[in-house]
Amino acid sequence: MSRSSYLKPDTVALHSGYVPESDHGSRAVPVYQTTSYVFESVSEGSSLFNVEQGGHIYSRITNPTVAVLEQRIAALEGGSGAICTASGMSALFTTFITLCSAGDHLVSATQIYGSTATLLKHTIKRLGIDCTFVPINDEQALRDAIQDNTKMVFCESIVNPGLEIANIPGISAIAHEVGIPLVVDATFATPTLCRPIDHGADVVVHSVTKWMGGHGVAIGGAIVDGGQFDWNKSGRFPELTEPYAPFHGIRFWEEFGPSALVMKMRAESMRDVGAAMSPHNAFLILQGIETLNLRMKQHVGNAVKLLEWLQQQEAVTWTNYPAMESNPSHQLAATLFPDGAGSMLCFGVVGGRAGGAAFIDSLQLASNLANVGDARTLVLHPGSTTHSRLTVDDMKAAGISEDMIRVSVGIEDIADIKADFKRGFSAAQRVGEAA
Amino acid sequence: MYIDVRGKKAYAATGGKEFDPTLPTVMFVHGSGLDHRSWALQTRWFAYNGYSVLAPDLPGHSLSEGDALESIEEMGAWLADFIRAAGVDSVHAVGHSQGFLDLLETARLSPELLKSITGVGTAGAIPVNPALIDAARNSAGDAAEMLLMWGFGPDAQYGISAVPGMQPIAIGRQIMASNPLYEDLVACASYENGSAVAQSIEIPAQLILARKDRLTPVRAGMAFAEELNARVSVIERYGHMLPIEAPRQTLQKLRELIGGLEKAAQEKG
Repeated sequence: MSRSSYLKPDTVALHSGYVPESDHGSRAVPVYQTTSYVFESVSEGSSLFNVEQGGHIYSRITNPTVAVLEQRIAALEGGSGAICTASGMSALFTTFITLCSAGDHLVSATQIYGSTATLLKHTIKRLGIDCTFVPINDEQALRDAIQDNTKMVFCESIVNPGLEIANIPGISAIAHEVGIPLVVDATFATPTLCRPIDHGADVVVHSVTKWMGGHGVAIGGAIVDGGQFDWNKSGRFPELTEPYAPFHGIRFWEEFGPSALVMKMRAESMRDVGAAMSPHNAFLILQGIETLNLRMKQHVGNAVKLLEWLQQQEAVTWTNYPAMESNPSHQLAATLFPDGAGSMLCFGVVGGRAGGAAFIDSLQLASNLANVGDARTLVLHPGSTTHSRLTVDDMKAAGISEDMIRVSVGIEDIADIKADFKRGFSAAQRVGEAA
Repeated sequence: MYIDVRGKKAYAATGGKEFDPTLPTVMFVHGSGLDHRSWALQTRWFAYNGYSVLAPDLPGHSLSEGDALESIEEMGAWLADFIRAAGVDSVHAVGHSQGFLDLLETARLSPELLKSITGVGTAGAIPVNPALIDAARNSAGDAAEMLLMWGFGPDAQYGISAVPGMQPIAIGRQIMASNPLYEDLVACASYENGSAVAQSIEIPAQLILARKDRLTPVRAGMAFAEELNARVSVIERYGHMLPIEAPRQTLQKLRELIGGLEKAAQEKG
């Protein structure tokens, strides 16, 4: 049960947001592959445009298939509503520009996905929005970084790729003391393992490309409005509490209360920026979500087994997984992730950078690519790919070393994953010995 | 907008347009623990189609100041003062669940203020399980969970929403958990004037009922419609939270009654 549904999560994943439609009784969610929707009359069209009634106008704004996915993700996370976007990055961009305007400021954890760091450090800075980065879970640094014009705090619930765990209750408490919301990217966790809203987060963002979709076939993002943040009491969000000129002077907070943020995003960002998810991608991601909980159990189980095995391998110089005692946030992992802290793990191999390259190049089962959360096992060398735009110092701050191998553990038989990695270690050891 | 009622600021949604007391006015009254947002998908239509709208938050609820009122009789009297404070002679009044009981009392006290009365998902009395009242005394959030589990019909329980992307259960929970639900439920449970009021008023009336309503079962609403001599509609497949679950059907029934009465009044001159 979440704050949005009395059904159990396994049932929500299969059913929420859709009952067989009346015309044909389709049991599966139909793909409404259409750009637009016929109005019954001029009057009905007018009332839809004016939000006098709910419904669909144009698929850049809403689409019936995408809406099922939105309602299902909102129910899984316990939010008041959700918006799906073309990608995880567009979900982040939509969130940042809805909450922040030119002259505003936000605070982000230093340890975040490389493209998100670039977005915060460079792209939105060009729009006049400044970001201060602080070490994740450093409460004093967070307090010191908050300014009068700060509009939000941002972190990832499981950090990519350093695998620290965000202290969501602690960070949200500090943010709420000064009337600002906490936005959490929960891509690595999924609502199966941790629902940030239950722990104090106000907005949850996902790249649903990853575990939510789970099969590496569709790009997409989602933003979930927790519905608990009081935008009026905060006093920092006139965009939500004062008349919004492009929409007949609507006051989103007064009219929609717990769904004010997601309504604003729909009315502004989806209309003006247009980072809409395609109906077909929504359909594909819905197929993945139906088995999310089953897959996550296997993902987490395999990750733990692989970690234990890696720790016994001579070619492995170090390992990292959120639940390991050597991980500084392992206690948080135990508290916030009782069913497992995801299926990402990192390790170093003998031979440094060259050894790492040899390891990856010799794998046959695991795929070397820039994605995570596929049902298949994936590996990557972040220092030369996803985080290559960062300076050495920034890489260090983000918890990345040159020899780091990032593994997104899949749901194959664990014996086959181990056999594949064994082949890689032999290659790495040969490089190490040669050096 | 905010209106001063008995020295306290009362918030009233106006459907997204400036309130104009010279237009025919429709007043929407929310149910237990809820607020003006129950009517988000009816108020804007009326406001943009020739009417003025007032959807107040009762005292102590959401955006209105003051303490919660302790009885349906007090709420009915407060609504009469609210209408006068808004500067209108009379309104078409619409109440959801407890909001309709409040309006029965307004009708008893000041029938001249009401041009018509519509009850949505309601009856002439709303008995409340003592266990629910006990839960509300301890935690509005826990009581909201119980109410919403029973209040929303099967489609909403499966995450269906009239507004794409939304989850009405979470929205309702958030609003109810922050409002004086206990006081409202006690007031509902104590109210016994319904039948007497029904026999004493001669205002055009209708009841819009829900086939899957488990809080105010349709048979109770049908019986009261007969006492009130009200026109009655039953909307299939939805539950007690009709304004949110079946906003189009609810709006259509409101348009039929209120539009018909206004048209007749204009023809009469």
